[in-house]
Amino acid sequence: MFHIKVSMFSQTRNLENKIDQFHDKLLEVSMNFKKAVRTFLSERRSDDYRRISKQIKNTEHEADRLRREIEAALYSQNLIPDLRADVLHLVENIDKVINKFDEVTHNFYIERPEIPEKFHAPLITLCDLSSDCAENLAIASRAFFRDLSSVRDYSQKVYLIENESDTSSAHLRSAVFDTDLPLANKLQLNLLIREVADIADIAEDCVDELLIFTIKRDI
Amino acid sequence: MDGLFLIFLSSGLFLGWSLGANDAANIFGTAVGTKMVKFRTAAAISSIFIIIGAVFAGSGASRTLNELGEVNTLAGAFMVALSAAVSVYSMVKSGIPVSTSQAIVGAIVGWNFYAGKSTDYGILSQIVSTWIICPVLSGIIAIGLYFCIRRLIRKSHLHLLRQDSYTRIGLILAGAFGAYALGANNIANVMGVFVDSSPLKPITFSNGFTLNASQLLFLIGGISISVGVATYSHKVINTVGISLMSMTPVIAWIVVISQSVVLFLFASQGLQNFLQSNGLPAFPLVPVSSSQAVIGAAIGIGIAKGGRDIHWPLLGRIALGWITTPVISGILCFISLFFLENVFNQMVYAD
Repeated sequence: MFHIKVSMFSQTRNLENKIDQFHDKLLEVSMNFKKAVRTFLSERRSDDYRRISKQIKNTEHEADRLRREIEAALYSQNLIPDLRADVLHLVENIDKVINKFDEVTHNFYIERPEIPEKFHAPLITLCDLSSDCAENLAIASRAFFRDLSSVRDYSQKVYLIENESDTSSAHLRSAVFDTDLPLANKLQLNLLIREVADIADIAEDCVDELLIFTIKRDI
Repeated sequence: MDGLFLIFLSSGLFLGWSLGANDAANIFGTAVGTKMVKFRTAAAISSIFIIIGAVFAGSGASRTLNELGEVNTLAGAFMVALSAAVSVYSMVKSGIPVSTSQAIVGAIVGWNFYAGKSTDYGILSQIVSTWIICPVLSGIIAIGLYFCIRRLIRKSHLHLLRQDSYTRIGLILAGAFGAYALGANNIANVMGVFVDSSPLKPITFSNGFTLNASQLLFLIGGISISVGVATYSHKVINTVGISLMSMTPVIAWIVVISQSVVLFLFASQGLQNFLQSNGLPAFPLVPVSSSQAVIGAAIGIGIAKGGRDIHWPLLGRIALGWITTPVISGILCFISLFFLENVFNQMVYAD
């Protein structure tokens, strides 16, 4: 009996660690994304950018591995049967945000867009807002597992930042189309800006669901 | 133990089986319904603890039933138990958690009427009053526990997975306690009417351990309840676990603890002695309905949560069962005793 209890708690602790690590991956990818955009704007497709982009790709792979392990453990050990589907959904949603960071970083690398100097600062702001959204999502999601009362606070921050990111992206896109750049460049920049803003949108969708899961989790 | 005794005891065993099929749902129904505990584990734990509770703490409530009606022939006891069992079985078949206590009380009163014995209305009113006190008390305990546990969970910042592990262990312990309390309290319903007419003799084992005649009877009854748990409780578990209200595993734990405490309060001779020796009002030792206790607890939690999650139509059906069960059982007993006496020439009561 004692052995069964100890083994049950060690399995639980192991899974707790994996869930924590998974959230760390979102924070890590978000920090690296900020660094990548700044590097791209100053050095374009340099070795540094390539290195950071690779780091993001690796983090994304590790997050995928952790997601699979979390999902398998939840089902094979029959844990939290009433909330399992919600936790799986949450983990998959966060994985989508991580994937989006990787996709945008990769697009910068592949497309090598020409970005006029005057758009550097607003683009950095937009990227920072998207990253902030993702970081607050990570904190809110972590709180879902330990401290329900904080989920609402961080979710609210995600909503506010996402709103700012929408405004910022709209201004930037409008400014792009006001320039004399060739239409192809304008369209390319427009698409990239929308992709960056999409990160915040996906984070907001995650938070919408997270708040529902929180209501279900509270007794 | 002669063959005739076994034949007459069969109705009690059938009632025990019905009780097991019906009332195991009240102990582990919510835990199994929310998939926190496997049915096999639940059935094994409840079987063991029901038998322990029945054998070692079942005498108090049984005495009260004998005071209501001293069914003094085996044939009479057979028919009283059979009427109660048939009433419960028909309700179980329709998936409604019913009260075995009310079925047996209805049948005993039916026997009293048939035998021309006076019913002790003092005892009857005491028993009937517990039908009201039991769910109310269970509801109050559940409300108190709900607020305490909610506060504890919010303050402790326990990881969801850790909370899940603790809840799982809590559900198993609460289930074991619930099974013990059920055996102690409800064995009176199954074997109480046979105590006066039982020909069983005390048994002493080689190590000096002795089971008296009533304990032996309760052991047989406990085994029949366990068989009911193992073979037929799954259907009722689905009703209690899923249909009654949307329960989280923590709520399930509160419900089981609340009903177990209520059953224990109405079965524990030790607690009664302790309260009386300290000049405090004691709980009467009366078989109460675990179904009522569970529903009381579920309503209590529903009220604590603002009354949103209660499935009122199902509760209405269950409440209807509470009224109809003793009435059907009493009438069935009265008519069956007539046939048993006049068609099968059995002595159903002694003067």
